[in-house]
Order: sequence, then C-alpha cells, then structure tokens
Amino acid sequence: MPLTSVLLLSMALFCIGVFGVLSRRNAIGILLGVELMANAVNINLVAFSRFQGGVVGQVFAVFAIALTVAEVVVGLALVILLYRSRKDVRVDEANALSG
Amino acid sequence: MTLGWADFAPLAIDLALVAAILIVLIGDLAGGPRAGRGIGYLCGILLLGLFAGSFFLDLSGPSMGGTYVGDAWSTFFKRLFLAAGALAIFGSADHVARHTPTRQSEYHLLILFSVLGMSLLPGARDLLLLVVAFELMGLPLFVLAAWAKTDDPRGVGRHAPEAALKLYLVGAASTAITLFGLSLIVGLSGTTNIDAWIRTAPSPLWFAGGFLVLAGMGFKIGAVPFHFWVPDTYQGSSTPFVAFLSVAPKLAGFAALIAIIHRGLGAGLLHRPTLVTLAVASILLGNLLAVAQTDVKRLLAFSGIGHIGFMLLAFLPGTTESIQMLLFYGGAYVVTNIGAFLIVEQVEDAAGGSSIDDFAGLVYRSPSLATAMLLFLLSLAGIPFVVGFWAKLYVFLAAWEAGLQWIVVLGAIVSVVGLFYYLQIARAMFMRKPAAEAPPLGSSLGMTFAISLCLAAVVVLGAFPAPLLGEAEAAAKAFVAKPTGAR
Repeated sequence: MPLTSVLLLSMALFCIGVFGVLSRRNAIGILLGVELMANAVNINLVAFSRFQGGVVGQVFAVFAIALTVAEVVVGLALVILLYRSRKDVRVDEANALSG
Repeated sequence: MTLGWADFAPLAIDLALVAAILIVLIGDLAGGPRAGRGIGYLCGILLLGLFAGSFFLDLSGPSMGGTYVGDAWSTFFKRLFLAAGALAIFGSADHVARHTPTRQSEYHLLILFSVLGMSLLPGARDLLLLVVAFELMGLPLFVLAAWAKTDDPRGVGRHAPEAALKLYLVGAASTAITLFGLSLIVGLSGTTNIDAWIRTAPSPLWFAGGFLVLAGMGFKIGAVPFHFWVPDTYQGSSTPFVAFLSVAPKLAGFAALIAIIHRGLGAGLLHRPTLVTLAVASILLGNLLAVAQTDVKRLLAFSGIGHIGFMLLAFLPGTTESIQMLLFYGGAYVVTNIGAFLIVEQVEDAAGGSSIDDFAGLVYRSPSLATAMLLFLLSLAGIPFVVGFWAKLYVFLAAWEAGLQWIVVLGAIVSVVGLFYYLQIARAMFMRKPAAEAPPLGSSLGMTFAISLCLAAVVVLGAFPAPLLGEAEAAAKAFVAKPTGAR
C-alpha cells in the first residue's frame, strides 16, 4: 500500500470530520467531528513516519493524542455545564448571545 | 545530551513561573478561602516581579539542545505576556473575590498556567514544544471563559457556559485544522525543527499544509472570516477575563504564526493573496460592524477584529521593519485594550449591563474613570498623542514601504469610521446625564492600580514611544538573525 492511499484515507477522514463539525447541531456531535479530524492528523503522522523512516512522526502522534484527550475533557465538562444551565446541548438553541 | 546550568538560564523566567504556580497552590491549600483576595494580589505581584526581573536577567542562549532559544525576540514577548497577565489579575481580583469567593485561587492559577504556556511559546524552535505550549495556553482559557457560571437566570454569568462552549468548539476545531496542516509539513520535511523546514522542496501538499495552518490560526486570532465567536464570547464571559483574552492569546497566536509562516515555511510570498484577503476583510468588517453595536463589549470585540486586521497588515511583508511595527502595535494594544475592558467591567458591575446607555454620564459618577476611558478610546482610534497613534502610524508606514499602498489608504479611511463609534461612547460618557439612581463609582485597590498602570503606559509611551520601539527593533532583529548551524 503506497503512501498516497494512506494520505487519501486520512484526508477523507478529515473531510468527514469537518462535515460533522459544520453539519451537526448537537455539541457532542461536533466534538465527535473534531475527534475524527484529530485522528486524521495521527494517521498522517504515523504514515509519513512508516514510509519515510524516522520516529519523529510517531512521537508527534503520541503528543497529539495526549493533547486531544486533554482538550476533550475540558470540552465535555463545558457541555455538561451548558446542559445543567439550559437542559439542552443543541448549539443552535444556544443563541442568547447575538446582536 | 546532558543538561547543564546553561540549559536552564534562558528558561529562568519560566521556571520561576512554575515556582510561583506551586507557591500559589500551596498557599491556597494552607490558607484556603480565608486567604481572600490576597491570593489574587499575590499572583499579580509575582507576575510583576517576574516582569521586572526579566530586565535584570540574561535570558539569551539555546536550551535543551536548541529546542528552545532565548533571545531579544522571546524576551520581548515574555514581557508582554507577563504584563498582560499581571494587569488582568489585578483587574480581576476584586471581581473574583465578590462573585466566587470560595474559588479565587483556581481562577488566578489558570491565568498563571496560561501565561506559562504563552511565555514558552515564542522561544520554541521545535514544533513539539510550540504545539504543547500553545495548548497549555489555550486550555485554561476555555475553563476561564465559563468561570462566571451561575444558576441565577438573571445573574451576570448567565451566558458564560454558552460563551465558553462557543470559544471551545471553535478552538478545538481550529486546533485540529492547524495540526492537520502541521502533520503534512512535518511528514514532508521529516523533522519538527522549525528552522530546518526551509530545506524542503515546495509541493502542492506543502502549500496546502501552510494554508491549513493559516486557517486554523486565523480562528485563534479571530481574523475575518473566522471571527464569529469573538463578539459572543466577549459578551458572555466575565469582563476582566475578556480583558486578558482579547490581547494575550492573540499576540501568542501571532508569535506562533510568525514562527511557522515566516521562519519555518519562508512562504510569506506564496501565501500573500490569502493574507491580504484576511487583513482587508478583518479591517473592513471589524470596523464597519462595530458601528452598529449598542453593547460596548461587542463594540470592542468588533473593533478588536479590526485591530487584528491592522496587525496582519504588519505581519504580511515579514521584513524586519514590519515585524518591529507589529511588536510595537502589540505592546500598545495590550495596555490600551486591557485598560478599556477594565473600565467596562466597573460600569457593567454597577449597572448590570454593558450597553452604551449604561455609560451615560459616567463623568458625573467618576470623572477619573471617564477621563481614563476617553484616553483609551482615543488610543484605540489612533489619535495623537497617545500610544495608539504611533502604533497605527508605524504599521501604515511599514505596509506602505512593503508595497501595500492601497490597503494603507483603505485603512486610513476606515480609521475615521473607527473614530465615529469610539466617540459614541465618549459622547455618552461626557454629554449625557446619568440615570437618576446611578451612584458614584468607586474602584477597588487592585483595579485602580491596574488601570493606573495602563493609563500611565498609554500616556507615557504616547509622548515617548522610543523605548518600546527600541525594544521591538531589537526583538525583530533577533528574530530575523538566523541561528548559527541551523541550516
């Protein structure tokens, strides 16, 4: 399997993630889209590392995973906070701030 | 690789910041809620002490095998971030003590963590350090944006969860976009050493990587068309935090952008059309949309987008002069914007809202606050002789010399529009009568201190811009100078 096909896979995954972020109305759904994008990043890093030698990409991937986890923890806490105050996690309902 | 004392000297400020975080943490455990607002003042004093210390310590030299390099460039940014953090903490101490008396030290600790991330960022020469520092800066901000959470449906913090979630969703998505771009760049170059990227032959994928980084960072700095979260988050979060959010992370974003785009990719020219579009759209939309705002926080948010546009204008050419002007603009923006938001906080706290009507007759309630606000507004608008004037003038000069004459003309015209909406607030403060029941406004100790510092900086640097300009020049030269043995 050549590098190109792996890159195509990661780009497809990234695009699905972007589509999820843009189309989902549920905050959890948007978070899932972000997760897909983050995983596309990891596939990219590991694939380059596998095909071109060197461990830089794999080390970077481990860091990227850790950072994403930290981010998601904060994100889920915020979703719970929004749910407690509005009993709803749909972002298009959260429109008190505008003008 | 062995670590010696020489490795830690450039990181002295950052290590001291870690020590400060530990001191506050232990102080909180020992004192707890009894510590009162003292814990906030302690954090502010620690940051101010580090700011002063940065002038006496030699912070130059490579560290950790060249992963981090301290020079005038990183020191300039460190000072900006330490100053912004100290001003924001002094301005927040009273607000935090009154609204969340049992959770005070958490707020200040989160600000300290964010400042630590920012302070590590500009000196990072390895992408891993840069990305981790950037996240260390960003994660506390999400939590802080939700700080004013409350179950009271009419309380000041009722919109904080929504504001925080908007900031978070945009932030998380933009991090993923940036990382995807960086993964392409790292993959193609095979190294995370930013200085070594320039050796890689450009390819469409390489270009796409740079483009994705620009888009992701565009969200972070709040440039048009990635700006939609800015007004909502500013309006919903607690105002003293917004004072911090509106300046420090934006400047950190520029530090990262400059490192990746100008130093790493050397692709300023390749991405020039994109950058011109971003800058022009930010200047135009930010200033024009600000005119229609009736809420002062939203107005300052849109005007802030315009200021980001001006900074992008200085970012664009990537020459020593333009980088110097960008740094000067950043310094001026820190003191002016934090000062303005802290005054908004005082008015909002008394009136329960931050619409322009709430500013009516401020001069009768507190002449000193009204005068200070007028000076901050004049500085934001770029009127002589406060610091904002020089900032705008220098950016225009740099852009003019870089061949962007038409944007300079456009920016000058739009600045007149800016004058209109800034003076709307001034008119409400000085020409209108206050509401009948509005009492005189008093400031807390920390607030008075922070606003006085901002005001002193705005006036003194307006009269003598040379010291800041000289610092910015040294920093820009240090940035352009390539480290030996990097190529």
